[in-house]
Amino acid sequence: MSRNAKGCKELFEEVIDVGLCTLCGACAGGCPYLVYYKGRIALLDNCARMDDAQCYEYCPRTYLDMNEISQKIFGMPYDDGEIGTTQEVLMARSTDSVIRGKAQYGGVVTTLLSLALTEGFIGGAILTKTSDDKTPSPFLAQTVDEMLQCSGSSYMACPVLERYNQIPKDTGGKLGLVAMPCQVLAVAKMKAHPPQNRVSINNVRLVIGLFCTWALSPDKFYQFLEEHLDLSKVKKFDIPPPPANRFDVFTTSDRTSFPLEQVGKFTMPTCAYCLDMTSEFADISVGAAEGIEGWNTVIVRTDTGAKLMKMARQKGKLQVDTLPPASLAHLKEASLLKKKRALKEIVKKSGDMNNLLYVGLSPRFTEKLLA
Amino acid sequence: MTSIDIDAPGTSQLLVGNEAIARGALEAGVGFAAAYPGTPSSEILGSLAQVAKNAGIYAEWSINEMVAMEAAAGASFAGIRALAAMKQNGINVVSDFLANLVMSGIGKGGLVLVSCDDPSAISSSNEQDTRPIAQWLDIPLVEPGDFQEAKDMTKWLFDLAEELGTLCMLRSVTRIAHARGNVKLGKLPKKQHKAHFDQVHDLKNVMPTTLMPVPSSLRHYFLHVKIDKAREKFESSSFNRYVGPDKADLMVITSGNCWLYSQDAVKALGLENRVGILKLGTLWPMPEKFIRKHLGNSQKILFVEEIDPFLERSVMEIVANLPSSSPRPTFYGKRSGHINAYGELNPNMVIKAISNILLLTYQPRDVEYSKKAEASAKSNVPERSMTFCAGCPHRATFWTIKNAIKLDGRGGIVTGDIGCYSMGLGPAGFFQVRTMHCMGAGAGVANGLGKLGQFGFDQPVLAVVGDSTFYHATIPALINGIYNQSKFILVILDNSATAMTGFQPHPGTGITAMGEPTQAISMEALCRSLGARVEICDPFDLKSTTATLLEMMSEGGGAKVAIMRRQCELLRAKKEKPPYRVYVDTEKCIGEACGCDRLCTRVFLCPGLTWDKKVGKSKIDEVICNGCGVCVDICPQGAIVREAA
Repeated sequence: MSRNAKGCKELFEEVIDVGLCTLCGACAGGCPYLVYYKGRIALLDNCARMDDAQCYEYCPRTYLDMNEISQKIFGMPYDDGEIGTTQEVLMARSTDSVIRGKAQYGGVVTTLLSLALTEGFIGGAILTKTSDDKTPSPFLAQTVDEMLQCSGSSYMACPVLERYNQIPKDTGGKLGLVAMPCQVLAVAKMKAHPPQNRVSINNVRLVIGLFCTWALSPDKFYQFLEEHLDLSKVKKFDIPPPPANRFDVFTTSDRTSFPLEQVGKFTMPTCAYCLDMTSEFADISVGAAEGIEGWNTVIVRTDTGAKLMKMARQKGKLQVDTLPPASLAHLKEASLLKKKRALKEIVKKSGDMNNLLYVGLSPRFTEKLLA
Repeated sequence: MTSIDIDAPGTSQLLVGNEAIARGALEAGVGFAAAYPGTPSSEILGSLAQVAKNAGIYAEWSINEMVAMEAAAGASFAGIRALAAMKQNGINVVSDFLANLVMSGIGKGGLVLVSCDDPSAISSSNEQDTRPIAQWLDIPLVEPGDFQEAKDMTKWLFDLAEELGTLCMLRSVTRIAHARGNVKLGKLPKKQHKAHFDQVHDLKNVMPTTLMPVPSSLRHYFLHVKIDKAREKFESSSFNRYVGPDKADLMVITSGNCWLYSQDAVKALGLENRVGILKLGTLWPMPEKFIRKHLGNSQKILFVEEIDPFLERSVMEIVANLPSSSPRPTFYGKRSGHINAYGELNPNMVIKAISNILLLTYQPRDVEYSKKAEASAKSNVPERSMTFCAGCPHRATFWTIKNAIKLDGRGGIVTGDIGCYSMGLGPAGFFQVRTMHCMGAGAGVANGLGKLGQFGFDQPVLAVVGDSTFYHATIPALINGIYNQSKFILVILDNSATAMTGFQPHPGTGITAMGEPTQAISMEALCRSLGARVEICDPFDLKSTTATLLEMMSEGGGAKVAIMRRQCELLRAKKEKPPYRVYVDTEKCIGEACGCDRLCTRVFLCPGLTWDKKVGKSKIDEVICNGCGVCVDICPQGAIVREAA
């Protein structure tokens, strides 16, 4: 598949119009034509350029050569395992009770971000902020306080990378990024082939990836919530571990629960075709530690990630423990299952065993997943 | 330039066709003139309004053609000679009234309608021949063949209308209306106008009487009597004449500007001794005897006329009624394909038709020379497409409409009508306008689209309409939309002028045709009084205008109004200096290296912005730029700078 002569037209034909868009925002904000608005990428005018179609190139749903990207990020071919390249898999939680109180699980993400900021690792971080009306939007947090405002998950897709693309190219300082697996993929593509005419991708010094099984379509889910709740009173969303099988919405005074199937209807269609549960190209990946309340699973992947984790431990910001082997096994099993399921869906969609749409894995691994 | 009220009888003056018509009306002692502006008719009332105070007459730009015609009829009913002038589509607007007016008859003041057609639709939304309307409604019709006739016929029509007691119509076309020629002037009457509505009229004018109202069918009979009388008058009219040999190889039957083309063609071919021209000035009812008299002039007859085969059909009808022993000429014209069935004609086309019929070869000029001349002429023409002026608020408005529709993502539709903003059909308005018919039609069409929710229709509907058109033809459609809860946004492009036709005042402007201040009618107050949500936007504020439109599109409920308020740039530029000095910072403009793909000169397309091919960067054309500064807000690099001038 040639990627040289493709632009926004093909981006729509191959990704957006066929339900593969993840709303990562990588195509938006970098040119005057592609704009994120209410759960969609809108094309304001046709762009006739063919030479330098970055919108197409950095989309995590256009062709991904996993080996090439892995070489750039980790200096080695793609790990044909379950959860990608790892240095260490741990469990951790913040020692700061304020952060823990606000965070989804153990508060590791917020703790690492504020540490990176105070230690001068980064000057700010692009995060997802849930505004007062509970619509998630990208936000460049530049103080610990602002970072704290962004903790907790909305479970809705948010075009974080549009905010990155909007940063004036000469003014960007060192940046951190908290991203979903699809967004981490787009950033990895940018690291492999640095984009032009926007803030340098080298300014992104820290990528914290989140675990993700699916995300909700923001506009549709928002409408659904609006019909059932006073959104101004909502404090937190949560999906308690199985077998609860429900989606909880906490307000100032009580909790409303929806059956997971009911909420599942608002899942982004593209999530069915996603192979990555653990943000495999992040510096550090963070998710829930299943079955261990108040703790996070942490996958340290790069030297940058390792350095930050080490500092967090030394400074007593994080309490760290070994992840129980059963939990690790379960994580790997779930991650592999996501890959298998997604690849089968992709073949179903393309109708051709040899057409894996955007996925470029080794034939051996592909075969193993499809087996 | 000569003022049309110059008191110099017997002298020749160079007048535009429309001025000649106005002068004819003045010489006839017109007291009341009303019109709605529109190409190619605008200068008739425009020139009358200029002299109205001095001449002691009344002239107004009416809200629309219907009111103009009705108002003129009102003056006629009170004994004042009155004229209504309009573009070709105007008569369609008036047709309901006309169909009744011909039955009632006019008052004691002669009443004349001037309908100006625009063959080839040079500045119109459609091409239409209004001559058949005169036939359809039984209105005596004349058409001037030159500028002198334009004046003389107009003057004569007032007498004729009074004599017949019915409305008379003069049809003109762009090439008469807007061209200039010598006109020998007549006297201007000195009489004072005195208006009085007589309670009792004679049978000729079937206005209110002390008797029982006359039944409609009987009034139709009276109308036919009037038409018969008109035919009698036309038989001896000097506006109809034949010039040519008694026995011609070919006879051209023509009228109006086509008479001029026909004369040129015969002269160019040197066929004065072989081809005769029967020129008709009175077209309906047809002077049958006069035509029959000349039918024997030739065995071959060519009809030279624009748009519809009006003369062709009418003469054929006369021939069909001739005794069976009469000779039957061969007819050439639109039916035979010798004359184009649409668009304007010119002498060359007539030359071709005559040459074809008489089997002549005529080469107006050397083919090679012709090619070279064409290439040479083209090389001097700058590459320009039809577009809005530099700094035109409509460009900014369509930019916000386009962006709002794209962001909304439901495939919003823009319905439109005629005016500068018709260019929204093309690149100037980013191809946003989807329907374009007559004045006010956009709002009417939107009424239908906005009620299709029950059929699964979810596309937002925006009807764009100019400020003058809003008053002219949109208010009933808006009321309908509010009352019947049709979901659309009426976007009024309020540039405070009837800009396309020459900045004539309209009810929103606070000034009359005669230059008197008057109470402006606030469109927002009017719309709000109807219960509509009204938002007033500054189209130059792209961001907030787009946000307002988006929000209005997502809101439920019936018809709403968004007023895009910015004065027409041409009006502003006449009064004041540009607000900004705008220039491109050549350091910041990175040309093709920018991801924008020349948004400024490829998409936004303001003529004030050019692409400097040599350096590969954007550039402001300082001669054309009006300094509105809107492009500053579209450049993704922030490379366009505005400085307060």
